[in-house]
Amino acid sequence: MKIFKLPDLGEGLQEAEIVKWLVKVGDDVKADTPMVSVETAKAVVDIPAPFAGKIAKLYGNPGDIAHLGAPLVAFEGESDTPDTGTVVGKVEVGQKVVSEAPAGPAPLTGGIKTTPAVRALARKLNVDLTMVTPTGSDGLITGSDVQRAARILSEIGPIEVMRGVRRVMAQNMELATAEVASATIMDDADIDAWPKGAATVLRLIRALVAGCRAEPALNAWYDSEKIGRWVMKKIDIGIAVDTPDGLLVPVLRNCGERGIDDLKNALEKLVADARVRKVPPEELRANTITLSNYGSIAGRYASPVVLPPTVAILGAGRIAKQVVVVDDKPAVRRMLPLSLTFDHRAVTGGEAGRFLKAVIADLQRPQ
Amino acid sequence: MAQITLVEAINLALKHEMERDASVVVLGQDVGVDGGVFRATLGLASRFGPERVIDTPLAESLIAGMAIGMAVEGLKPVAEIQFSGFAYTVIDQILNHAGRMRHRTRGRLSCPMVLRTPCGAGIHAPEHHSESPEAMFAHIPGIRVVYPSSPRRAYGLLLAAMRDPDPVVFLEPTRLYRLFKEEVADDGQAMSLDACHTAREGTDITLVTWGPMVQTTLAAAADLAEQGIAAEVLDVATLKPLDMDSILASVARTGRCVIASEEPRTASFAAEVAANLAEDGLLTLLAPVRRVTAYDTVVPYSRLEHQYMPGKDVIVTAAKKVLAFA
Amino acid sequence: MAIVAKFEIHHSQYLDPHGKAVQPLPEFARDPQNLAALYRWMVLMRTYDAKAIALQRTGQIGTFASLLGKEAVEAGVGSAMAKDDVFLTTYRENGAQLMRGVTLKELFLYWGGDERGSDYSGPRRDFPMCITIAAHATHAAGVAYAMKLRREPRVAVCSLGDGATSKGDFYEGLNAAGAWRLPLVFVVTNNQWAISVPRSKQSAAQTLAQKAIAAGVDGAQVDGNDVVAVRHAMDQALAKARSGGGPALIEALTYRLADHTTADDASRYRSPDELAEAWKLEPILRLRTYLMEHGAWDKAKEDVLLRECNEQVQAAAQAYLDTPPPGPDQMFDHLYATLPAALQKQRAAARGED
Repeated sequence: MKIFKLPDLGEGLQEAEIVKWLVKVGDDVKADTPMVSVETAKAVVDIPAPFAGKIAKLYGNPGDIAHLGAPLVAFEGESDTPDTGTVVGKVEVGQKVVSEAPAGPAPLTGGIKTTPAVRALARKLNVDLTMVTPTGSDGLITGSDVQRAARILSEIGPIEVMRGVRRVMAQNMELATAEVASATIMDDADIDAWPKGAATVLRLIRALVAGCRAEPALNAWYDSEKIGRWVMKKIDIGIAVDTPDGLLVPVLRNCGERGIDDLKNALEKLVADARVRKVPPEELRANTITLSNYGSIAGRYASPVVLPPTVAILGAGRIAKQVVVVDDKPAVRRMLPLSLTFDHRAVTGGEAGRFLKAVIADLQRPQ
Repeated sequence: MAQITLVEAINLALKHEMERDASVVVLGQDVGVDGGVFRATLGLASRFGPERVIDTPLAESLIAGMAIGMAVEGLKPVAEIQFSGFAYTVIDQILNHAGRMRHRTRGRLSCPMVLRTPCGAGIHAPEHHSESPEAMFAHIPGIRVVYPSSPRRAYGLLLAAMRDPDPVVFLEPTRLYRLFKEEVADDGQAMSLDACHTAREGTDITLVTWGPMVQTTLAAAADLAEQGIAAEVLDVATLKPLDMDSILASVARTGRCVIASEEPRTASFAAEVAANLAEDGLLTLLAPVRRVTAYDTVVPYSRLEHQYMPGKDVIVTAAKKVLAFA
Repeated sequence: MAIVAKFEIHHSQYLDPHGKAVQPLPEFARDPQNLAALYRWMVLMRTYDAKAIALQRTGQIGTFASLLGKEAVEAGVGSAMAKDDVFLTTYRENGAQLMRGVTLKELFLYWGGDERGSDYSGPRRDFPMCITIAAHATHAAGVAYAMKLRREPRVAVCSLGDGATSKGDFYEGLNAAGAWRLPLVFVVTNNQWAISVPRSKQSAAQTLAQKAIAAGVDGAQVDGNDVVAVRHAMDQALAKARSGGGPALIEALTYRLADHTTADDASRYRSPDELAEAWKLEPILRLRTYLMEHGAWDKAKEDVLLRECNEQVQAAAQAYLDTPPPGPDQMFDHLYATLPAALQKQRAAARGED
C-alpha cells in the first residue's frame, strides 16, 4: 500500500482534528481531490489527494487527532518510496558501468641500477649514468663508479656534439650498419694501358655503367620491410666527395645515357659545387649506386659502407705500380685496386662477381 | 638510590604519583589485593586503599570505559589490561572515545588517562599472552603510545604519561620486567615524551628499536662492535607521536638503518619508520632500510616462541647485509 | 529444591492514553502548572524535531535521528536531573539535553556535521552524544565512581535504547554499578525498535528492566508516554543514588513514531497500522488532554506556545545556517592539548601551506 501521512500544514502546526472524511474506502480519486476536512488551531482545511489512486484505508474517525507524519490515508498499490539503501548518510548512485580488462603483469624493464643518493651525485657531477660502468654486485652503479666517471670526463673535456654533414653521416652509417648485410669482393684492374693524364673518376663512372649493364641487380633499391627491390633503369651514381665539412655524396644523374664530355663537365661542376656547399639538397639524394674514390688520398682495399636503399658501392683505391705476373713472368704494371661492397640481401655473390668483372674489363680498355 | 627491576620501577612511579596527586587511581583485574598478576601494583592497595586501587570485575571494555569516564570527570586513572591479548578489546573504547573526547567536544572535555598492558613474547606464557600490538595502537589518532625498555625509562616515562593531559597507552615489555636491574632515583622526575633515546652511540649503522627489542638490539650492537662495526641504537620510546627528526639525524650520519621490532611484519610500526625514512631521508641512505620483525604468523605457542622472536643474530645478519650493500 | 532468588518488576502509570489519572498523582504533579511547564518543553522538543527533519530534507543538515514519540521520557528525565549531575546520552535524547541547557543552535550545529555543536555552553560536564551503542554505559560507571570517590551528591544518568541492552558494554557498566553501588541511574528507552529489529527479536527477557536484577540493581518499568510516571520514577531513583543508596534502572516503554533516522524508511519493516495504533498512545496529546480537563490549558495558550516554539526554533536554525563553516584547522585543534611536532607538517598541508 502507498501510505500518505499528514503533511506539514504550515506555521509549525503538528496536529489537526479530523472533522469529516470526504472519500471512502474503494473510491478512485484523482490527484488533488479533497479527501478529508481537518481543523487546526487556526482553520478548517481540506487535504487533497497527493496523487491519483484507489483508497484502501482511512486512518482515524471524525473527532480523532491526526498528527504530522502519522499515517492518514492508504492507497492501493506498491509503495513507490525510493529505497535510499542506507540508514545513515547518503550513498551516491551512479549509472556508469565499468568493465575491467584482464591485464597481464607489466614487463620488467631493464635499465640502470643505482640508488637515489648515487643518482643525485651523478646529477651533481654532471655524469651521464649510461656512460658509467657499474662495479657493484648485480650491475649496481656505486658512488665510486660515478666519481671515477666524473674524473675521466673532466680529463677528456666536454663532448663535441656532431652537427650538419658529420651528424648526417653518423646517423646514416648507423642506419646502414644496422640494416645492410654487407659483403665485399676485391680485385685489381690493370690500367697500364691508360694514356697519361687519364681522368680516373670518369673512367670509373664509365666502368660502373658497364657493370650495371652487365648486372643490373647492383643498380637497385631494396626495401627490407617489404622484402622487395626496384631494379633501376636509370643509373644515378652518387659520387663520394671529401669536403672541408665532411663527406658529401652528390649525384650524377643518368650516367648511362650521357656522353663522356657531358659527364665530364657535369662531374667537374658537381665536385666544385660540393666543395663550396652549393649542391641543392635534391641532388644529394636518390642515387642508385655509389662510387668512392678514396684511393685519391690513400688506401688500396676497403669495405665501404652501402647506404640503403642502394645495394652496392664501388671503392677505388690508390693507383700504384705493382709487380704482377704477366705471361708467367714478373712485370711492373700500373694497378687500380677495386673493392665492391654489396648488400647480400638483394645481390648474390655471382651477380657481384659478374658486375666487378665487367667493371674491370671496361677499366682495362686503353680508352 | 635503589637498584630495581623494570616492574619495580613501574610500581615506584605509581606509588610516587598516587602520593603526590590524590586524583590518581589505579584500576584493573587483580590490581588491588593481589598487587597485579605481575606485581606491578604491589602494595598500592594497602597504602592508598581499595577506593583508589580498584579491583574491577572481569571486563576489559569496562576497565577502559571507566577510565574514560573517570578521566573526563577529573580523576587521573591508570587502567591495567592484564595481558596483551586482551588489549584488543579496548581498541574500541580507546579509538572511538578516549582519543576523540577532546576533539569532538572542542576541548570542553578531555581524557587524561593511562592504559597499561604487558606485551611481547618470551615468558613461556599460554596462548594470547605474547602479543605486540603497538602498530594497532599507534594507528589511533589523538593518543600517545609509549613503550619503555629499562627500569629508569619505565619510571620516568610512566610519570610523564600520568601527567600528560591526553590518553596514553603504556605498553610494558613483559620479558624485561625482571630481567635486569638499574639504579632508579625516586625523584619524581618525568622523562620527556615524544622523543627518541640514544641507547648506544655509533657511526656505521643506525639500529632503531623499542620495547623488549632494545635489549636484543644492544646485544647485537655489542656483537657488531667485536667485528669492528660501530652501531648506533635508538630507543624510540614514544611510538606516537614519533620523533622522526632524531632518527633522520642519525641516519644522515650513518647512511644505513635496520629497524628491529617483535611485531608481525606486515603493517608493523617498523614499516611506518621505514616509510618515513624513504620519504624524508632517501638521499642520505647508502643502502635500503631493512626491517627485522617477527613473521606474519600467529604468535606461536611457547614451544616455538624463540623461533618467532627475532634474536640478536638476525639483527647482526641484517646489519651486515646493509653494510655490504655498496 | 530451594528457591534461592526471585524477582518482581513493577510497572507504573499515572496518566492513561486518554489523559485520565488512573491513580493519585505524585506530589510534584498535583499542581497542573508544573505539568504545564513540562508540556511546554515537550512541544518545543517536537517543534525542534520537525524542523531538524525539514532541514535534513533540504540538505542543510546531515542524517538526523528523530525523537518523535518519546517526548515524555525526555521531559521526565530532563526535569528530574540536578544541574551538577552528569548526563550520558545516545543521539536520541536531544529533548532532555535542551532542558539541561544545550542550545538549539548547538544541536543544529552538531547534526549539521560540526563538532562545535558538542562544545555545550550550558551543561559543561555532560558527555557528547555517544554514537557507538552502549559504550557510554562504561563511561557512566567511571563518572559515577569519581562522584562516589569524592563523596559528591551528584548522580550520573546513562540513557540508552532497547537495542543497547544487548551489548556487552551495557552489562559491564550495569554490573560495575551494582558491584560498587555507584550513584548511577540507567534510563532504558524501550521504543520497541532497533532500526528494523523489533523488541521481540532483541531479547528473550520478559522485560528489559529485569536485566538490572542480574547485576544486583533495582529495575522498574514505567509507561514512557506518561511524563508523570517517568518523572516520578526518576525522582525516586535519583534521590536514592544521591544519598548513597546505589544504582537503578528504569525501563520506559514508548514507541518510535518516526524512522530510525532520516535515511531510514520504516515502512520497509513495520506496518502502517501498527504505527497508526501507536500514535493513539502518544505523550503530548495525552498530557494536553489532562491539562485542558484541569483548566490548565486552552486553545489560546496552545496558539501562543506554537508560535513561540516556532520562533525559537526558526531563530536557532537561522543562527546555525549563518555560522561560517569550520576551516581545516578544526581537524587539528583539540586533537591533543598541544599539537605534537609530528603533526604540524600535516596541519600545514591541510592549510595548503606546503
